[in-house]
Amino acid sequence: MTATTTGVPSPAVTTTAPRPSWTAVFALAAFEGRRLLLRVPVLVAFAVYLAWTVWRAHRVGDGHPALQDVDRATQGAPVLVGLAVLLSVHQAVLRSRRYDTERHLSVLVVPPWRRTVAHLLSVVPVTLLVAVCVGVQFTWQALKPTAVGHGSPAELLVGPLSVLLFGAFGVLLGRLLPVPAAGPLLIVFLFLFSVFATAPTSTGWSRWLVPSVGENSSATLPSDLIGRPAAWHALYLAGLALSVALAALLLSGGARLWSVRAGAAAAVALTLAGAWGQSRGVPEETAEARVRATVAPEKTQRCVARDATTYCAFPEWGPRTGDWAEVVDDVRSLAGGDAHERPLTVRQRIEARYGLDGDAALAASPHPGEVTVGTSWGGNRTPEFAVAVAVVLVTGREEASGAVCDGRIVPVMWTALAGRPDPVADLRRVRLDDSVTGGAIVLSQTETLQMTAAHTEVLRALLDLPRDEAAARVKANWAELTAPKVTTQRVAQVLGLDAPEGEDACQ
Amino acid sequence: MTPTVSASGLSLHFGRTRALDDVSLRLSPGVTGLLGPNGAGKTTLLRVLATAVPADRGAFTVLGHDPATSGGRQEVRRRLGYLPQTPGFHPDFSAFEFVDYVAILKELTDRTARHREVRRVLDEVGLGDVRGKRVKKLSGGMRQRVALAAALVGDPEFVVLDEPTVGLDPEQRMRFRELIARAGEGRTVLLSTHQTEDVAMLCHRVVVLADGAVRFDGTPAELTARAAGRVWSSAERDAGAKAGWRTGTGSFRNVGDPPAGADLLEPTLEDGYLLTLDGAGAEVTA
Repeated sequence: MTATTTGVPSPAVTTTAPRPSWTAVFALAAFEGRRLLLRVPVLVAFAVYLAWTVWRAHRVGDGHPALQDVDRATQGAPVLVGLAVLLSVHQAVLRSRRYDTERHLSVLVVPPWRRTVAHLLSVVPVTLLVAVCVGVQFTWQALKPTAVGHGSPAELLVGPLSVLLFGAFGVLLGRLLPVPAAGPLLIVFLFLFSVFATAPTSTGWSRWLVPSVGENSSATLPSDLIGRPAAWHALYLAGLALSVALAALLLSGGARLWSVRAGAAAAVALTLAGAWGQSRGVPEETAEARVRATVAPEKTQRCVARDATTYCAFPEWGPRTGDWAEVVDDVRSLAGGDAHERPLTVRQRIEARYGLDGDAALAASPHPGEVTVGTSWGGNRTPEFAVAVAVVLVTGREEASGAVCDGRIVPVMWTALAGRPDPVADLRRVRLDDSVTGGAIVLSQTETLQMTAAHTEVLRALLDLPRDEAAARVKANWAELTAPKVTTQRVAQVLGLDAPEGEDACQ
Repeated sequence: MTPTVSASGLSLHFGRTRALDDVSLRLSPGVTGLLGPNGAGKTTLLRVLATAVPADRGAFTVLGHDPATSGGRQEVRRRLGYLPQTPGFHPDFSAFEFVDYVAILKELTDRTARHREVRRVLDEVGLGDVRGKRVKKLSGGMRQRVALAAALVGDPEFVVLDEPTVGLDPEQRMRFRELIARAGEGRTVLLSTHQTEDVAMLCHRVVVLADGAVRFDGTPAELTARAAGRVWSSAERDAGAKAGWRTGTGSFRNVGDPPAGADLLEPTLEDGYLLTLDGAGAEVTA
């Protein structure tokens, strides 16, 4: 054992090449990733995300989901997880500085820029978890026998990519502004940015700068008419996440590596390419297809005939014609006269010219014997369709429904609702004010109907009768009940019901 | 025997302040004590040897690896265990997690083997029972042991300990001495301390540093021997003494050049240390 100060020769040097420490980076990423998953903000955000997703799962499309809407519905909630990840990763990056362990840890083997890589990789497990949630959320809806349409993989990528992007922002922020308050401040800034970017006054391209881009319309369009630059947006988000991540690496000492510099340049190029692609607006051919689908849907639809009814649907809605036929058959079976064999065409119609920028009302079909059906189904849409079928069976034309304000409302509403499992509940659903007494507007895909208090009174009395007995009375008197200008009093009298006492004038 | 650490002419300035002045030394397995007053350059020397800061001049190797090069520095760090003067902790980590985290940064990548090693060092420092406890819930002494475990994890060949017993109560200090003595078995430990008792009890070698320069390098016995015949007892403080203080018996213990016929006392390591510092021009206080 020696410790000498005199005559110490110059130290002999052993030359060694540095060993790669990537396995340590992955081990550190696993360590940080596990801690990140257990951080309170991330756990809370995940709990809220999962609760929201499960709650929504039972309400999407009233049990009849259109997958081109379901994919977009997966994008909003992951942003919450992303924000929690941003805060937590930022705190993790600042950990050594906050608790003064830098002096200690700086002499350990894994260099700072590789620790930054580990922090960036630590976001991957959360991202994958969100990707799994998104996948389950979409698959759950897609496996429903009532599902129609097609989802977009690019739209499904937005949620996970948002988490990745926010995580990368958290790491970059830790390297750029190493103060704990910077995380919440960045979130406030991002919120304000998203408000301005997506404001109605902002130009179309700016709204695509934020991760999750919503739409003003709740309408469902055929997937080929959606016109969202989903793939470009996914490329933009991936490029931006990569750019931010590599910027964090450059700030952590990675600038001396040409691969990091080259990667950063490539990532910026990807981001710009994505931004350019997503800012080009709706392709011309999509805009033309939207017009075609709106004004001449028959050119793109497939029709199937069943009994006296022809069902014409956009290709993605082909499987749904069976649901429409059930309703049509129910209504026909309760109608009298020749209504059960009168030719009908059920045509699916949309207003696609404005894309998803806003909801536009459909005009009633001008063609005799044609009933409009929309792209949504289930919930209120089903009894509304039944009412539309009944109106055409009684009046012959859909566009006449707005003018029907006489006793015919009673057989129309009865044939529409009596075959439903819970007619009174459906009556409530189709009325604008959710009432079952008094006068009300009756909703429809196209023209609304107006029910007076007297109509409602007679209808309720008719619905209270045993269905077969009521059907017999309606069929026996069908011609008189559906004659134009028949009064409500007369309808009640013909049906053997008490005369209504309520007001009987349309507004 | 090939030295673990071989340093030659290490110098470092912070502005106009000379922190290290031509320090040369060789360290071999066992515990070497580094004594010196505040501002002597002990922590700076340890930080240089731990590759935390580079020296302005001079060179050193650890097991033949030169930290002046990037590759050499990595190799040195792979062989290094470092306990800084005031180690920071991540309070939300458990003791196990903190040592595990350090182990990963030391490139212990096999999870099973690493966890076994973390458990081993925590057991070695007597924290096996509280390894799941968060660091912020541990006492000061326990935290210091966590830091020691972090320094020892991975079985480093060269361990640098910067005043590890500061702030510990006597019982904890005694326990720490046991740990350091055990750590010195088979590896090279450089222990910076203010406590001459630590050096007396633990070290086979002692280096005294003052004003950034080495003032003594030898065995504790040799340092003690420097005070042979230069410690005496008197009823009053001897004006000629370099240092003197009243002892529990009421008499004065003086260190310096004794007057003729003085009642000489058996010297201690501390006496030798004080006289070494005095010779170096350092302020001797007692």
